[in-house]
Amino acid sequence: MTSAPSHGFDADHTDLKTPQDWPAEFDAAARRPLKTRFRYAFIHTYKPVLDDEPYREFDTMEEYRQWCEDHLPDWLGYGRI
Amino acid sequence: MAAFEYRQAEEIRDAFARYLFIGKSGAILLGFSDTTQDANLFVEKSPKNGRGLVAALKDIGFDLNQQQSEEIVRGKDFVQLKNGPFDLDLVFAPDGIEKFTDAWERRIEVEGFPVCHPDDIIASKEAAGRAKDRESLPRLKSFREYWLRNRQEKASCAVWVSNPNSRTMKMK
Repeated sequence: MTSAPSHGFDADHTDLKTPQDWPAEFDAAARRPLKTRFRYAFIHTYKPVLDDEPYREFDTMEEYRQWCEDHLPDWLGYGRI
Repeated sequence: MAAFEYRQAEEIRDAFARYLFIGKSGAILLGFSDTTQDANLFVEKSPKNGRGLVAALKDIGFDLNQQQSEEIVRGKDFVQLKNGPFDLDLVFAPDGIEKFTDAWERRIEVEGFPVCHPDDIIASKEAAGRAKDRESLPRLKSFREYWLRNRQEKASCAVWVSNPNSRTMKMK
């Protein structure tokens, strides 16, 4: 199957699966304890710009969304459609 | 910076009362098989809750100065923390959810962790309308259907175990 390029690090290997594969994946995940799901689900890789400041705050969500669109690379996928 | 760990989630869980896991991190707690970079908490906006949150974050190892602590207590709509043991987004007014209390009423408890209902997670992603959300939504919606189906089956089993006659009576 050919899939479209994905945005962001969060869009992972699952893009390569078809919707028909999803229930089996959900079944497999349901059999894993929560601790194990944590270990494999939460990952960390460097995200340019986003990871370059230790603290950011925004008065409104709109300000945050706008900041993402103005400052983050498009390929991270934070821009609105 | 390391990834979010179960024991850290436990520290947050045990520290203060009024927050919900939201976003993909919330879905993962519900059983969604995927990966994410950060934890997202939907926090009730109140000074008391904010103070509890700040204390908990400092205990876990977030390096918050006086001004940052005060802003969190005051309840900005969005605070992004990358100054601790893992990346954490504090969301006080997520897109697509009217009030914290509404989401709190619909919450799901997973091993003591309060998590937004899948409908709220989906609603917030739909309202945010980002490219990364558009990609993950079809699979997330499929998970919602799976999760609801399993939940109904478990509830049916629980009724059957607690009162085997109840099922028979329903079928008549």
